Parts: sequence; C-alpha cells; structure tokens
Amino acid sequence: MSLLIQAHVAQAAHDVIAVWPIGSFIALNPLAAHESTRFENIHEPGITLTQTLPRYRAQYASGRITRPDLISALHERIGELDGFPVLELGRMAWSAAEILVEEMLRSDSRPPTPRTLSAADPLEQHVTKWVAAFVDPDAQWPIPGRRDGFYSAWHALSVHDPHLSRLARRRIRSLPDQALPALTAALTHLGVADGATVQTLTAELAALPGWTSYLKWRSEHSGDIDLTEYLAVRLALRHALDLPPRPLSPRPGPDGDHPPDPAKELWARAEQISATLSPSPTRAEVAMVARVLILHPPTDHPFTWQAAYESHYRTALVQSITYGTAAPGRPTVQVVMCIDPRSEGVRRHLESHPGLETLGFAGFFGVPVRFTSFQGRGAVDSLPALLRPRHAVTESPTSPQRAHRRSRGLRFLDAAAHALHATENATATPFALAETAGWFYGATTFTRTLAPGLHHTLTRTWRTLIAPPSPSEVTVSDAFSLEERVTLAEAAVTMMGLHQFAPLIVLTGHRSTSINNLYQSALDCGACGGNPGAVNARAAAAIFNDPTVRAALAPRGITIPEDTVFVAALHDTVADTITVLDPHLVPDTHATELAEFIVHARAAADHLVRERATTLPGAHPHQSLARLRARAHDWAEVYPELGLAGNAAMIIGPREMTASANLHRRVFLHSYRTEMDPDGTGLETILTAPMIVAQWINHQYYFSTLNPDVLSAGTKTIHNAIGGIGVLAGHSGDLRRGLPWQSVAVGDTLLHEPVRLSVIVQAPLERIGDIISGNQVLRDLFDNDWITLTARPSPTTPWHRYTRYGWASQPTRTHKKENR
Amino acid sequence: MHGLTEMTKVEFVVPGRDAPSIRALITAAGATGYTAVSGVSGIGHHGQHSGALLFNDYDTLTMLITVLPPERAEELITAARELFTTCSGVMFVTDTYVSRPDYFQ
Repeated sequence: MSLLIQAHVAQAAHDVIAVWPIGSFIALNPLAAHESTRFENIHEPGITLTQTLPRYRAQYASGRITRPDLISALHERIGELDGFPVLELGRMAWSAAEILVEEMLRSDSRPPTPRTLSAADPLEQHVTKWVAAFVDPDAQWPIPGRRDGFYSAWHALSVHDPHLSRLARRRIRSLPDQALPALTAALTHLGVADGATVQTLTAELAALPGWTSYLKWRSEHSGDIDLTEYLAVRLALRHALDLPPRPLSPRPGPDGDHPPDPAKELWARAEQISATLSPSPTRAEVAMVARVLILHPPTDHPFTWQAAYESHYRTALVQSITYGTAAPGRPTVQVVMCIDPRSEGVRRHLESHPGLETLGFAGFFGVPVRFTSFQGRGAVDSLPALLRPRHAVTESPTSPQRAHRRSRGLRFLDAAAHALHATENATATPFALAETAGWFYGATTFTRTLAPGLHHTLTRTWRTLIAPPSPSEVTVSDAFSLEERVTLAEAAVTMMGLHQFAPLIVLTGHRSTSINNLYQSALDCGACGGNPGAVNARAAAAIFNDPTVRAALAPRGITIPEDTVFVAALHDTVADTITVLDPHLVPDTHATELAEFIVHARAAADHLVRERATTLPGAHPHQSLARLRARAHDWAEVYPELGLAGNAAMIIGPREMTASANLHRRVFLHSYRTEMDPDGTGLETILTAPMIVAQWINHQYYFSTLNPDVLSAGTKTIHNAIGGIGVLAGHSGDLRRGLPWQSVAVGDTLLHEPVRLSVIVQAPLERIGDIISGNQVLRDLFDNDWITLTARPSPTTPWHRYTRYGWASQPTRTHKKENR
Repeated sequence: MHGLTEMTKVEFVVPGRDAPSIRALITAAGATGYTAVSGVSGIGHHGQHSGALLFNDYDTLTMLITVLPPERAEELITAARELFTTCSGVMFVTDTYVSRPDYFQ
C-alpha cells in the first residue's frame, strides 16, 4: 500500500517543473511538462498563452504586425486555405485569408478571464512556516530532529505548537511518525477514495506551486526533503485541523469556451463580416463567408495574431541574413563568446578591428565541471542544468608565497565578517556596536548611496590590499582523462566550426555584476548553471593548450598550429569590459597581440555601454561611462542591465551569415559549419543542448511577461529572500516563480517582446530532419509549435520552414525592414 | 538451478527526467541496489530515441535494473504499473537466479 501511495505521489508530481534556487537561477520553461501537447491546446488554469487582442490590434495599428503577416500566419496555420476559391462579395473579390483577416480586425475582444483567487486556506500559514524553517540554510536555530526528515521533525515538534488546538495536536500525535504511513493514514482519515488519490495529491501540490517546484528540485539534488514528506505534512494538518482536501481547479477544456449554439454563432459572425464587406449581402454570400469562418474559430484568433507577430520579426531577421563569405586569410585574433544574446553586441563592436574574428559557443565551452576554488568553501556546479556534474576541478596556486599571503588576508577578512555578524546578532552587543562603529557605517552607507562607484573602488582597493590576488591555474588533468579532454576539444572544434586557428584565441565566458540583487545569478551564464563562466573558459583554455591533447587531435584531422595560444577571459555584461584571466599563463611571444586585443576590447566595451544606454531605464547615452558603469554597484538600482530581455531567435551557422546585421542583442548566435560536421553529430549536440537551454530562457521570459501574477516573481521592491532559495512577495506565502517584473518590463511598458524562439539553421535539410526524428524532445518542441525552425542547406539556396508535415517555403517580404 | 537462488529482475526504460521517481520506488521497495544505464537508444511507442547525447542527460532514456526477492517485487511491480498509467515508460519483469542471495535481501 505504501509503495502504491508513493507511485501516486510520483504521478501527482509528474507535471511539476523543478525550479532551481535563486542562488543559481536557471531559466526554465514553466510549462515544460506540456511540451508533448500542441502549444495552443494547453489549458492550464490561470495561465495565459498569448497577448490580449487589444494589444495585438495596437501592434497592427503601429505596423509591428502587418496584413501580409496575418495572411501568411493564416496560411501556415490553416492548410485548407490554399485550395479555397476566391469569393465575390459585393463588387470585390476576396480570398478566404483576407476575409479571415477582416474578421480578426473587427471581432469583439473578449476580456481576459480574471484569475480567480481562492480564499486563503488556513493550512498554508502552518505549512509555509514549517517548510521555510526546515529548508532555510541560514537559520540561526536549526530545526531539531532535522536529520530524521521533514515529516518526522514536524511530527515531533508540532505536538508542542501553541498555534494548534489541543484536539489538532492530539490527532497529529496519533499519526505514524514516518511520512509514507502517515500520508496513507491521513488520506484514510480524510475519506479520500483510492480512485481520487492522485487527484487529491495533485490539488495539494498545486496549492503552493512555488514551494512545490522548489521542493521537487531539492528532492532531486540534496534529497533532505521530498514531496512525499511535504504532502504527508499537508494532509496530516488537514486531518488535524478538520479541513477537507483541496478541490482541484477545473481545467477549462477546449469545449468549455464554445457557445451554446455554434451554428447560430457562426452564422452571426458571417452576417457581421458580410455586412462590412458588401452593402447588401445575399444569403448565399453569407453562407460562403460562413464556410470560410468555420475554419478559424474565435478561440484560434489569439494564436494566429501571435504567429503573425512572430512571423513579422522572423521574416525580417531571415532577410537580414546575407550571403557573406569569410574574410580571406588567417585572422590575428579569434574571440569565442557565449551564445548569450548579450554577446552579439560585443562581437559586433569587436569585429570592427581588422583581423579579428568572433565565434559563438555555449558559455561552458564544452567543459562541464564542479569547481572548488583554492580558498573556496563548497563547490559550484558550473555546467548546463541538462548535465549532472561528473568532473571535479580545483584550483592550484602557481605562486606559493602569494597564495599564502592571500590566504592569510582572506582569513582576516573572514574573521572580521564573522565577528561583525556575531556582534550584530547577539542579544546586547548590537547596542555597543552601534555606539562604537555606527559613525563609520553611517559614513560608508552615505558613500554607498550617493557615490556607489567611489564606494566600490574604495572597497575593492581595501580588500586587494589585505588579500592581494594570487595567480593560479585550474587542474583539468586531474578531473578529465586524456581521452575525455581530447573528445571535449574535438567536439568543441566541430560544433563551432573552428576551421582555422588564429595565433591568439580568446575564450570569453561572461558574468554580471550587481549588488543588492537577489536575481544576480539570472544575469550570469545560463550554460554554466547560473554561474560566471570564468572557470569553464580557464579549463577549456588549459585543455586546448595542452600539447598532449593537441598531439591526440592531429590524427583526428584537427591540427592546432604551434603558435596558437588559447587565453581565458571574462566579459562583464554590465560594464561590458573583457578581463583576461590567468595572464601569467600567456607566453611572452603573444604578449603584444594580447595587449592590442585588450586595448581594442576596451574601446568596443565603451561603444557598447553607450549603445545599451539608449534602452536601459534611467540611463542616457550622454551620461559618463563611469556613471553608466556605476549602476553595477548601486544598491538601489533595479535595472543594472536588461539581461536577456528581447531574446527572440537563435541562429546556427557561420558568423559571416550575420556579420553585416545589427541583431540588437536579441539573438543567440551559435557558430557552425556543415563541412566540418559530416555526420551531423555536432549539429545534433547543438540542437539537443544549447538550443534547449536557449528555449528554456526564451520561454521563461515569454511566460513571465504574459503572466506577471502567476509565472513572474513580481516586482523586486517587495521581495523578501529566504536564504539563497527564493523570494516571497511580502512576509509570507508562496515562493515566487519566474523572473522579476523588472527583467521584462518597466512599469506598464514591456522591455521584452513575448515571442517564441525562432531557430534558424544553415545545414542540409535532410540532416536536420533526421536529427529531429531521432530525438523526442525536438519532435515535441518543433511539431507542437513551442518554437519554430527555419533552415537553408547553403547560402545560395532559399529558406524553408519546418512543419510537422515536412519543409515548406519561408515567406518573404518585398521591403526589407529593421528587425526591431 | 546449480544451487542458485531465484529472484525477480525488474527493468524499467523511462525518460531521464522520470528516473528519480523510479529510483525512489526501487529504494522504497527495499531493493538493495540498482543499475542505471543512461542514454538508451531504440524505437518505441513514442518513436525513435537516438541514445546518448553529449551534453544532455535530461532528455534521453534511462534504463534502471533491479533484482529483489519475489515477495518484495510484487509491491514494486504493482506500484510501477500504476505509475505507468499516466507516465511514459516500459517495464520488463523476469525470473532470474543469483549466486549471492544475501546481496539482494
């Protein structure tokens, strides 16, 4: 019986998407459990899949959506339109698509269904109190009996909880002290029939979706709490408090929106449209119009609008892709950057330097690691969320004396911080602290508020004096066998189409710098598990510089010239600076090239900071660079940067396709050359890893924008953090999911256009088709319209659009337009 | 059979993302261990599965194999059958023989 209940818990939790803690925020598709369903067939209570009709019409009025976009979207969505005859109405001829467009422009918009907030459940206050106490990593008083698990600890303590009545405590005491038997007993006490168990458990899990999603992640990663224990506590409390099981919110099916008499409603629609197209329509004409309108019920209108909205952007983007060819000769510097859309701006500015070439690759550079720094506590999983950590990389100092001095300095800083923390949290000492050091903290707070840049400089200088940096290197040879290193290097070269090697190749990871920002990790590298990509760049450079790796690559057809040196660097996406990591490992022979690159990267960064200031709330291009960059250190700044707002597409192909276009930092750019990947393995890896991560990011932004109350974390200004786990809006309640509102909007103005990811690939169509056929995750995403795919085999062949029935020609526009 | 002890072998092939639920069931059933093979390829009810992916453990199939005494296997099989009424995956149950029964008790 117990195992059966556990199976029921697994069934109930199947559609719950595990959410990473905000300390290592991973963008995810919050509706990923439905990816095997067609996008427009999803019916999730309280969740909106598209924008509102008035918003679409406003975009039509502004030209963001055009009539050809609508006609194209209708033809894409309704195959029957292609064979439909032209209709004579009044004295004019109308195609079926034009009639449908007329209806879309005129039909009454239904107001969005308001989200019905259920009455506050008295259970939640108890549940959230205990869960938060159990999972809080920084609790000053850890919950007793924690080792026995959540349910057992709660069972032992709640019988002393004064907030519960004597009867409730007695009922809890009578329940088993283990989760699974207690859950079984509670379900029996509540009278839940066997056939209703899964439904009951599903409803309970849906009560606090934020906590549920986090607990699912935690059960799969740390394992100290799981959903069985959580449900056991919930249902035990229901039994104790005499509360009935939570009813499951009804899911409005597709039939739920249908009018009582569809035929009558269709005829009314036809009459209405006929009257607008013809002064006195005959009954036969109305019937003809009805035959058209039946193909496009009103429930489909928002999805057609959305398809047109996306098609407009995609068509312009595809037309901006050129037939360019790679610059002749060997480049002097190659900069490999993450596919993150923010890299596009840097790459565009860097490429103004003659002889400099850029490439795009997933920001972990194909080296997934669990990293422990030399002086660090604990390890960081710097790898995509799609992978489990298998390789533990550490850091080894190259100068023992400097390492010793740094360790001594860090110990001092650590002791000072600990002493301060202890003084702040003891009973009487805070008063003494305020009396003695209050003036100092007052002054620093004043500086920090009014001159954040100065405060940062002073703090950094002070810390550097006490604990000066110590040179080090990452220890890849301990973590990866030679065969593994060679395989990773070969995969990276194949995937990014690195067909020639410059004397200097800069592998540039990225990070974001901001303070007082609970969502800082959402701005770091998604391919590195919401961490800065420095260690991955360093590890990859070490692998590529390893002579034994190069010797093993040669028989595989990859010859890295002896004069080629790989250098690791880090791009700060707020200041747009590129910092060279491990400069002590760069040989003197390449010092000049590296110095020139640094100078050029500085100039590119300055240009990009000013360019980004045109769209950054509160910034202006005429502000000084120092002021624009000081946003990173301003503790009142809620927009340190725009992150990946605006992300809309992913292009997989050689850089010369896009080098002449300004993509406005909206596109994930993955380099790829078909000729270097004859069996398609590299493309399969790109489509099943970097593209999946890009899709997660895209859908996180999409749904956070469309569902600010349910799938966005809401405004940052009222967030309260629970350790590095998540945030509450206010002082209690559910953990908020998704991105904060400031990541996607400023006030009521959207910073992010909610468009589903347009994937654009230059590779043989047959190869792409084979890869999709072999991978269910790709079939689900492309066949069910979660994302779109446009491809061409070569620069001289036309673009094709992937459909579930095969490849179709991609619509073109006669007038080339800007992508934004 | 050759002094071996009869046991029940249960094999599951499930999406990688569902493997934790199966592992939890196996553990709760009292199995002393299991073998996991990720990146399983083949063709099944949902079409083709190409197998191991270089940078994605999440969207591949995983095979989990466990061996346990027949009397304990019954409950695991019942629970797994229930799970597969709503989740994708297959289960194979066979009689098997082991030389060290104490390893599986």
